[in-house]
Amino acid sequence: MKVLVIAINTFKEAVRDRIFYNLLFFALLLICSSILFATLTVGEQSKIIIDMGLASINIFGVFISIMLGIGLISKEIEKRTIYTIIAKPVHRYQFLIGKYIGLLVTVIVNTVIMGMGLYLVLMFNEFRWSHGIFNVNIDIWKAIYLMSIEFMVITAIAILFSTFSSSSTLSAIFAIATFIIGHLTEDIKLMGDKVAGRPLKVVINFLYYLLPNLDNFNVKGRVVYGLEVPLSYILIVTLYGLLYITCLLIIAGFIFQKRDFK
Amino acid sequence: MSLYLKKNGYYLASLIFVILSISVYFIQARINEYKGLEHNIESFMMLPKGEYLKPIVLGYEQLAGDIIWLRTIQVVGTETVSPQGYDWVYHALDVVTTLDPRFAYAYQFGGVTLAVLGKRPELSNKLLEKGVKENPDVWQIPFYLGFNNFFYFQNYKLAAEFMAKASEIPGHPEYLPKLAARLYVQSGDPDVALEFLDRMYKETKDQKVKASIEIRIKEVIVERDIKILEAAVRKFKETYRSYPGKLTEMVSKGLIRNIPNEPFGGNYYINTDNGSVYSSTVKRRLKVYEKGN
Repeated sequence: MKVLVIAINTFKEAVRDRIFYNLLFFALLLICSSILFATLTVGEQSKIIIDMGLASINIFGVFISIMLGIGLISKEIEKRTIYTIIAKPVHRYQFLIGKYIGLLVTVIVNTVIMGMGLYLVLMFNEFRWSHGIFNVNIDIWKAIYLMSIEFMVITAIAILFSTFSSSSTLSAIFAIATFIIGHLTEDIKLMGDKVAGRPLKVVINFLYYLLPNLDNFNVKGRVVYGLEVPLSYILIVTLYGLLYITCLLIIAGFIFQKRDFK
Repeated sequence: MSLYLKKNGYYLASLIFVILSISVYFIQARINEYKGLEHNIESFMMLPKGEYLKPIVLGYEQLAGDIIWLRTIQVVGTETVSPQGYDWVYHALDVVTTLDPRFAYAYQFGGVTLAVLGKRPELSNKLLEKGVKENPDVWQIPFYLGFNNFFYFQNYKLAAEFMAKASEIPGHPEYLPKLAARLYVQSGDPDVALEFLDRMYKETKDQKVKASIEIRIKEVIVERDIKILEAAVRKFKETYRSYPGKLTEMVSKGLIRNIPNEPFGGNYYINTDNGSVYSSTVKRRLKVYEKGN
C-alpha cells in the first residue's frame, strides 16, 4: 500500500516535469518528420519511416528513462523531501520500489504515446499511397514492447547509480555509458571466443554475462524486414529483463539502505 | 525482534540476489541459443544502407566503418558461411566502403573472399569496381578484377585490360606488366593461369583463401597435365593408328618422358574408346580451358 502511494506520487511528479514533455515533443516531431525523409526516396517509404520512428522512440525513450531514473534520489535530497519520507514508517526499500514502479508507469505511458505516434504516421503514409490504412506492419509493436523492457532496465540502472552517486550528472554519464556498453556486449562475447588463454576467456565471459545485454531487446531490424519474431523469444527476453531489473533493484536497495543523508 | 527481522531480511535478499543472478546467466545462455550462429551473418542484412548510416554516425564514418569491418572479418574468419550468407558479407562490406570509401583493404579482402571463398564473382566484381573508382592509386584492386574476369568470366581481353591498368599504377610489382602482356597473347594457356594463381597466392594474406587458391592451382595443374597427355595420345594415334591401352605405353614408346604426378595424389587414366585422358580425383574439367581448346 505504501509502495503504491509512493508509486502514484512519483508518476504524478514525473508527468509534471517539463523535461519529460520536451523530450516527448521532440520524439514525436522526429517521428512525424520521417514522412519528409520518406518522400526523398523512391519506394521503401514505410521502411524509412519505421527505421526512423523506431530509432527515435529508442533514443528518446533511453533519454527519458535516464533523466527520470537519475533524478529519483538526488532531487529528493535537493528538495530535502527525503528527510520527511525516511522519518515516516516506510522502509527504504519500499520507497525505492515505489519510486521505481512510478517511473515504470511513466516510461510505459510515454512509450505507448510514441508508439501510437509512429503508428499514426504509418497509417497516414499508407493512406497517402492509397493503400488501406490498416496495411501497417503490426509487428512494430513487438519491437516497441521489447524496447519498453529495455527502458525499464535502463531506468533500473539509472536508479542504481543514483543511489550512490552524489551528482546526477555523474549518474547520467554512468547510465549512458552502460547503455552503450549494453549494446556492445555481443562484441565482448565475440572477443572472448577469439582470445587465447583460458583466464582471459573466463574474465571476458564473466563480463559478458554480468553486463546488461541490451541487444537482446533489439528486434528493430527483424521487424523492418518483416522477419518473424517468435513469441517464445519475446517471453524469454522479457524474463531476462525482469530478472536483471530485480537484481539491480536488490543491489540498489542494499546501497540505499546503508546510505547516510546529511 | 525488528533487528532480527532486519538481519534476516538482508540474508534473504542476498539469497534471492544470488539465485536471480544465476538465473540471468542461464537465460542469457538460452537467448544466445535462439540467436544462433547464423545471427551474426544475418545481422549484416539488417544493417541499414551506407547512405542512410552516413548522416546518423555524425561524422564518425571511419569509426563506424571500422566497427562493421571488424564484425565482418570475424564472421568470415570463423564460420562456414553459406552461399546465401555471402550476400550479407557483401552488404556489410558495401556499407563499410560507403562509410569509408578510401578503405582500400576492405575492397581487396572482399574481392578475394567473395570470389574465392564465396564463389560469388559477380558480387566480388561489384565491390571491386566501386573500389577502382574510389581508389585509383591502389594496384591490387584492378589486379583482382583482372583475376575474376580471367577465371570466372573467361573474359580474357577485359582481364588483360585490368592487368594493364594495374601495372600503370605506381608501386605495382615487377611481374605485372609481363603478366598483362602474356594475358593479351595467350589467354587460354594453363601456364598463364598458373602464373596468375601463383601471384594471387603470394598477394593473399588470409589462410583460408590461400588454401582455396592452392586447390585451384592443383586443379589447373591437372588440367595442364591432361592437355599434355592428350596431345601425346593424339600423336600416338597418328603414328600407330590406335589409342594406347595404357598411358605408360606412351612413355615406353618415347612419346613423353614420364607420366606426371597427379597433384591431389590420384592417377591419370585413358579412355581407350575415344582417347580422352581423365584424372581419378578431379571429375569435372575446368571450363576455362575447354573453351581454349
